[in-house]
Amino acid sequence: MELLELHNITKCYPGVVALDNVSISFRQGEVHALVGENGAGKSTFIKTISGAVQPNEGKIVFDGVTYDHLTPQKSLELGISVVYQEMIQFEAMSVADNLFMSDGSDSGFFVNDAERCKKAAELLEKFQCHISPKTWIRELSMANRQIVEICKAILRNARVLILDEPTASITVEEQRRLFDVIRDLKKQGVTIIYISHRLDELFEICDRVTVLRDGQYVKTLDIKDTDKQGLIQLMVGRELSENYPVKDNPPGKEVVLKVENLCGNGVKNISFELHRGEILGFAGLVGAGRTETMLLLYGAAGIEAGTVTVNGNTLSVRSPSDAMKAGIGLIPEDRKWQGCFLDKPIYWNISIGNIKSLCSGPFIDRKKESEQADYYGARMRIKAPDFRVKAGSLSGGNQQKVVIAKSLASLPDILIFDEPTRGIDIGARYEIYQLMIELTKEGKSILMVSSDMEELLGMSERIVVLHEGEQTGTIEKPDFSQERVLTLASGIA
Amino acid sequence: MEQKTKRSVGQFISNFSMPILLLLLIVIFSILSDRFLTPLNLTNILVQNVHIAICATGVFMIMVSGGCDLSIGYQMSVAAVLVAKLLSNGVMGVFPAVMLGILICVALGCFNGVMSIVLNSPPMIVTLGTMAIFQGISFLISGSKTYHNLPKSFMFLGQGKVFGIPLNAIIALVVIVIVGIILSRTHVGRKIYAVGDNPEAAKLAGLNVAKIKIMVFTCAGILVGIAAVLLAARSGSADSNTGVGIEFTGIIACVLSGVALKGGEGTLWKAIVAVFILGVLSNGMQLINLGTYPQYIAKGVIMLVSLYLSNKTAKAA
Repeated sequence: MELLELHNITKCYPGVVALDNVSISFRQGEVHALVGENGAGKSTFIKTISGAVQPNEGKIVFDGVTYDHLTPQKSLELGISVVYQEMIQFEAMSVADNLFMSDGSDSGFFVNDAERCKKAAELLEKFQCHISPKTWIRELSMANRQIVEICKAILRNARVLILDEPTASITVEEQRRLFDVIRDLKKQGVTIIYISHRLDELFEICDRVTVLRDGQYVKTLDIKDTDKQGLIQLMVGRELSENYPVKDNPPGKEVVLKVENLCGNGVKNISFELHRGEILGFAGLVGAGRTETMLLLYGAAGIEAGTVTVNGNTLSVRSPSDAMKAGIGLIPEDRKWQGCFLDKPIYWNISIGNIKSLCSGPFIDRKKESEQADYYGARMRIKAPDFRVKAGSLSGGNQQKVVIAKSLASLPDILIFDEPTRGIDIGARYEIYQLMIELTKEGKSILMVSSDMEELLGMSERIVVLHEGEQTGTIEKPDFSQERVLTLASGIA
Repeated sequence: MEQKTKRSVGQFISNFSMPILLLLLIVIFSILSDRFLTPLNLTNILVQNVHIAICATGVFMIMVSGGCDLSIGYQMSVAAVLVAKLLSNGVMGVFPAVMLGILICVALGCFNGVMSIVLNSPPMIVTLGTMAIFQGISFLISGSKTYHNLPKSFMFLGQGKVFGIPLNAIIALVVIVIVGIILSRTHVGRKIYAVGDNPEAAKLAGLNVAKIKIMVFTCAGILVGIAAVLLAARSGSADSNTGVGIEFTGIIACVLSGVALKGGEGTLWKAIVAVFILGVLSNGMQLINLGTYPQYIAKGVIMLVSLYLSNKTAKAA
């Protein structure tokens, strides 16, 4: 039975058609995946369902009733809930308070805390989530915060639950638990709309999948009738020969970076060597200390013990500017908060790290600056109408290229890529992989932190594995396997 | 092509909304009062607002770097009473006294910057604290007295004319142009915007965020010092209430001109025009016999309306 149908939805923003005549219908009790590259229109589509966006054309049919558009209130009333990737919660309040904030169950003037906690505990127990309802939200892991959001939806008697990139920042174990929760909800007849960049997991959990591309509806398929390659083909509209470009330049013998017994920032005794032209991967679960290690190397956190040697010189890195002087560049994990100045033009973003070298006297040489932007823009293949547009107006992939250009402009020898392709669509990913390999051909060396197992195995030449702040092993290319990495990452070996 | 011209007209209006608003106010007050559009009155508006414009420049720098300074009024007060006391007691010559006045503001500004970094707290709250300290210092220096009898050569700074142009306006123009060039054309200026726009990204881009923030507060101190000297010289006297409350006019002008409250955005000349919008408004209201209190209300309303408008444009973008 069709529970929710969207017919001929069109949504235009000034200059952009975000959704172009899209029709999709969702059955009761199915897990329906929505996939597409960034900019394909997934988020506008969800917002149309949640009432945050009102379409220019089209209609929405819910349970037999037709609407021109929904408002956020109406959508909630109908039982449509969204769990966003960036959850909006009351951070300094308890789980119970978060759950019952707006359900209107309180009678009288005072809050019945005991009752709330009891109800909350029962609900959490259903999902094998053993946290105290009195815990503050801010103290919970991402995965548990998600469960709280899902519980909230259930309290509102959700009939449609939209999950936006639910597995982006949770561990494999937590993902398994989330899938149990999803299966449980499905049994109760809840319709789940599942959005993810990770195609593999769709085959595990979804019944049907709809592909969007450039704001247009492409196809709805039973998940059984397709495979990953088929989906990718539909998403990008062309056939990708391989997921990962071939790196045919073996790393040199020369050691460019040697780290010995590095401690601090929650990690201890990290030791490894990086060779010229090598891509060294860093694997581990969330919280294993990968990013923390990179921040230590980059001077953004204090080193407590250990030595860092670059090209034979022992360094004392106390700030990012020390690291940059030693030839280390960072492409940070969180593009929006740590990498990009979203309100500033592209050329401005590229030059901010080396602005001093673009000056003649005290003044910025505008010509040099725009030449630099043109050079790196062309090299990174940044797609933008003009390098004076704001970085925030670009797609995720192009923003990432701007961040890479910014790092390259300081002429680093060693580049740290922290989650290089998180939230970036497949076409742009491939380009970033190609760029990484080009860089190694120029004699640069790369440290790559990634939570994407395939990316790690596909791009790295060796992998260092961390577990809870300690190094549990290093894997050489011939021994690469998902099992081997996972075993070390979960600290079993 | 047609769309492009259409957009650029819209851009022109939003880019020049400050001068347009200023002109509009001038036209309105010229119609309402025949005493408004006279050379004497216009000169008055100019000289009454130059010290505010210099202060607003300091406020502008601080806000662009992502900070806020509520203590500026009492920084001015400290500098003004110190200079006036030294001069009226004849302890010092005009030049060293003026330099000392500016230096004390540099020290106070630096103190603000260091405190907001050391305490790692929002500068608005930190400067609320330092404001109380500066108030105390000012009254300790002045002993609640008002200083008159300032030397002629000192008063010339605030009242004199060079080639028929008020000297204080010339000083203000030079100072503002220098700051404008630093902010828009040099790497230092670029870094100030970067720190305000996204401190985390600025840190990872190798900028010393703490150093830049302290530097901005310190440089703003220079501007506040100059403004204090010009104000005392123009009015020919100083007490501990000299300059108090000026930070609000500066903040209102900055917000009105579109300086982002989170930092990283703003255009200096627009903020300066906004200072004169507020100046014309209060002058004009006085001329049509609306007293001081309605002026306060008008200022507050303008602040709220500009917040509303800036939120609206932020959403549209």
